[in-house]
This record gives sequence, structure tokens and C-alpha cells, in this order.
Amino acid sequence: MLLSVRDLQTHLHLKRGVLRAVDGISFDVAEGETLGLVGESGSGKTLTGLSLLRLLPKGSGRIVGGSIKLDGQELTTLSESALARDIRGRKIAMIMQDPMTSLNPVFSIGDQVGSPLRNHDIARGAALRSAVVDVLQRVRLPSPADRLGDYPHQFSGGQRQRIVAAMAIGCTPRLLVADEPTTALDVTIQVQIINLLRTIQADTGAGIILITHDLGVAASLCRRIAVMYAGQIIETGPVRAIYRTPSHPYTKALLAAIPRLGAKRTRLVAIAGQPPSLIDPPSGCRFAARCTQRMDKCAEAPPTVTLSDGHSAACWKLV
Amino acid sequence: MTAMLELADLTKHYRTKHGVVRAVESVSLRVEPRTTMALVGESGCGKTTIAKMILQLEQPTSGAIRFEGQDIATMDRAALRAYRRQVMAVFQDPYSSLNPRLRVGTIIAEPVLAHERKSRAELAKIVAEVLDVVGMPANAARLYPHEFSGGQRQRIAIARALALRPRLMVLDEPVSALDVSIRAQILNLLADIQTEFGLTYLIISHDLALVEHFSSDVAVVYLGSLSEAGPTEQVFATPQHPYTQALLAAVPLPDPDHVLSEAAAMGEIASAMNPPPGCRFHPRCPHAMDICRTTPPVLTGAPHAAACYLPPHALRDAC
Repeated sequence: MLLSVRDLQTHLHLKRGVLRAVDGISFDVAEGETLGLVGESGSGKTLTGLSLLRLLPKGSGRIVGGSIKLDGQELTTLSESALARDIRGRKIAMIMQDPMTSLNPVFSIGDQVGSPLRNHDIARGAALRSAVVDVLQRVRLPSPADRLGDYPHQFSGGQRQRIVAAMAIGCTPRLLVADEPTTALDVTIQVQIINLLRTIQADTGAGIILITHDLGVAASLCRRIAVMYAGQIIETGPVRAIYRTPSHPYTKALLAAIPRLGAKRTRLVAIAGQPPSLIDPPSGCRFAARCTQRMDKCAEAPPTVTLSDGHSAACWKLV
Repeated sequence: MTAMLELADLTKHYRTKHGVVRAVESVSLRVEPRTTMALVGESGCGKTTIAKMILQLEQPTSGAIRFEGQDIATMDRAALRAYRRQVMAVFQDPYSSLNPRLRVGTIIAEPVLAHERKSRAELAKIVAEVLDVVGMPANAARLYPHEFSGGQRQRIAIARALALRPRLMVLDEPVSALDVSIRAQILNLLADIQTEFGLTYLIISHDLALVEHFSSDVAVVYLGSLSEAGPTEQVFATPQHPYTQALLAAVPLPDPDHVLSEAAAMGEIASAMNPPPGCRFHPRCPHAMDICRTTPPVLTGAPHAAACYLPPHALRDAC
């Protein structure tokens, strides 16, 4: 297995208390596979991605338990210097949501796309320049050789996201973490970036973790989906199982709450209330307070029930 | 019947040091009472500029905005005051549209105080009433915006817009900053108050599924001009403009068996500073002909209109 995460717990130590942002999640990503981490803001999906790279908020964020194995190598016990040298940007790279803030406005794009290659001693001098041009060509930036000296503001939003992708794939990482890579983009540009991620994967065989709140984008890119709610994975399975036979009441409710193009117009089924605070989360099922099928038993933490091959959900209804 | 709102050849140009930005170019639209008109298009297409002109946050370069038949440019002070209390807005981000230093009760009472003399008790009654309409407890009035979640803040913004019982509401991306599970709550609320108070909506959104679900009429804006307009059902069922078709084809559906059209993955929006001659969409259009490159097409057809030289049936066959 390319990536194996077991019982990962990441806490944020805030003034108000300890926020259990990621609370015991487990998942695998195989080579060449795309896993969608789907959930709402605050569900812990971004902090899961940042935990893999150990890019947690300085001072407050800490991995307090569990294991992260990349190609069998344990990452949670690796020293910061070894992680920076061998893993971050080299074997695991990240594409952030907003290309405007993930690019530095005062450095040329040639400089920025080249920096991971320089830092990891992959290329220097003329070889570096041609490697940068090559990777910008792979993300289909028009006439890259002429634009190495240009700055981020001289590009459109879609082009900037291509440049961010180029930075991420320069060192041919084994795993790409794409955090809402299309959210800041218009739909016609979104399709281009979705296609780009597919091409990158076909070319490099990298595993991809797609972090998104958009069930449409997840369906179009992912082979498997893990649905997160309040710091936990509440349902996981092959993409078809999740969309055709969703089993956790939260997954069902989420799919019923979005308007669908071409569907008959009916009143949307809203999910009442809001997610619980993760500083002092409920001890039982975290969705129970909003669940229409709540039972007495839901005051206890639900077991994870296997429904079919690779499809499981944590709900008392399924026991 | 007089339209609630009519835009006639509405145009807005901005002079900048680099040249003239043609943000809105000769847009004509009718919004009938108690209907919902949606403006859709990519970022930078001018849809928000149109809304700003209606709200008098921008002055049109030329053209007219008529509210119940009366041109707002020729209204006297009293008529303008009356206009302003009948037209309200709800903005995208409830984190920036509510003053963090004011209590919710004060926020909601502000527009009322701007227009009417009211005693403290009368104001409190109005605030309690609108809070109830939007599904918030009366004691929310004493709290500050930061004490509420995003969805609750958007309810407060809606309550503020409702306080003067307006007739027309401009909704600028009213749910795009909210989480999926909260969006449905707010959309249902907006639908309910529209029926209850007989409101007319002008909604701006880039989310086509939402627009199909929520609006009765739709206008597709491309680089400041209308490329297609008509009853939502007709436009979505038989889109006539290649741009509308591309937009619809680009929407990723929450269905793993839906294949995103590659045809949608074309080029990027041109600059409004130097819009292409002829049809502004022609550089991205797969069906562009010679005439499209020289002479802008006119929006024709009723009630379903499109600005395209291709006859609708030819387009259907081509796709």
C-alpha cells in the first residue's frame, strides 16, 4: 500500500481548549488511486492532509496518536529534518485551494516552480531551467519558456492553479494531496483542472488525495470516497457504493441536500442544526443531534459496520 | 403589466490608466413581480456590476434601470428614498457583511432607523418579528455576529434585508460561502419568505444546479453581454447559445457515471478591457463562423432568447 493511515489523531491546542480536529481516522491510498476526503468545513479533512506533511499550525497543532506509513515508512516518528529532506515536496506534495495565496507575488513563476527541484537537489543551472519548462509544459501552460520571468499576477486564475500543480509535480511525488483544487475557479476552468489531475495521475502513477466539499467534483475524479464528519470518517467505500447506496444517515442527507442539474424541482431536504464543537465533542455518534433516525443507542459511539467489499459505515442502524 | 424591474441597454464602462474596461455592455432584462431572475456567468463577467447599479452603488455609463416603470435616474429625492427601502441586498459572505462591533439587534434595526422614526419598543418588536421569520430566537438580538455560525449569520443578513419589508431583493451568491448541509436550509428559507412576503428576487450565482433549482428565469452573462436569457426550464432543457451549453456541460454531477464533456474544456474568458470583436464568445466557440468574428449577434427570440448566429437546430445537431 502506498499510504496507510491508522487511527490518526491530530489536536489543536487553543486558548479555549483542546480541539480534536482529527479524531482517530484510518484509510489507505493505493498507487495510482484517487481517494476523495469529503466533508464540510471543520470536519477535519484539511488537517488530515496537513498532518501527512506535518504542516500543522505552529505551536497549536500536534499529531497525538496513530500512524502514517508511506511505502511502509513510518512518518509520525520521523525527525523534522528528515521529513523536510525526503518526504515533504519530494514524496508527498500538496496543491492548495487558492492559487493566489499559495504563490509568492514577488518571485517569478520560474523561480517558484524551480524551488522544489533546487531544494531537493534534483536539477541545477541549465538543467533546472529545462526541467521547469518541461513541467510547465506538462501542466499545459501556454508557451512556458517565454513566461518563466513573469509573476503570478500576470496569469489568470486557471493558469495560476496550473503553476501550483507544476510546483507540486516537479519532483514526481508518490502522493499528491489536492486541497479543494478547483473551488476558487469557474466551472469551465474547473473541468480543465480536473482533466489535468487525471492526466498527471495517468503519467506519473501518483496516488491522489482529493480534499473537497463538492460532491460533484469528488464523483468525477475519485475511485474511493471517505466521508468525514466532526473529525471522524463516518462512511467509506468505492465511489459507486457511496453515491448509489449511501448508508450513513449523514451521507444520505448530504446527497439529498444538494440541488442536482436536470433533476425534478423539489424542496431541498435540509439538514437541521450544525456540527458539534470538537473541543468537547459528544461521546456517542457525533451526527446524532442532527440525525432524523436517532435512537437511544446513539449516545454510545457507533461501531464501524462492513456493508460490502470496501464499503463501511459507522452507524447503529446498520448493526 | 409593468415589470418590477427593467434594465434597458444598461452599460457600465470603467476608465482605468490602462484603458476602458467594458464591464457591462447594453444589457436589457425584465424581472416580473414575484419571480426569481438569476444572473449566471463566470467571475469577471459583470454580473455583480449589474447588481451594484441596481443598488445604486455604481452609476451606469448609459442605459436605464426602471423600477415599476419609473427610471431611477430621474427620480426625485423622495422617490429615491422610497426606492431604496424597497430594494434590499443579501451578500455572499456573512462574515464581512455584518459589522462585528454591533449587536445583532442593532444591525437589523439600522436600515429601519435610516428610513423611519421608531421608538425603542417598536424597533425591538420589528427585530423580534424578523428574527422569528428567519428562524432565529429573539434573544439573538442581544448577541454579536461572532457568536453565530455562518448559516446563522446569513439568516441575520436576511433578517436585516427583510426588516423594511422590501419588494425586491438582490441576492449576490447568498449561499456560496456556506457549507453544503447549511445551504439547503438557507435556500428553503429564501423560498419560504418569497412566498410569504411576495418578494421579487434577482439572484447572482455561478452554481448552475442551484440556479436551475431556485430561479424562474435566467440570464447568462458573458463578458458583460447577455448571451442567452429566458425561462429557466427552457434555457436548461434546450440551451441555444454555445456558451450556455459549455457551462452546463462543465458542471460535475454527483454521479460517478457522469462523464464530463471534454468540449467544455476550452480556453479562458477574454479581457473586458479588449473584448474580442464580433461575438465576444467567438474565440472559445467551437462553432464560430466568419460573421461571428466581425459583427456582434443580437439577442433574439421570446421568451427564450439567444445571441447567436447559429440556428438552434443546427447547434443541436452539431453537439
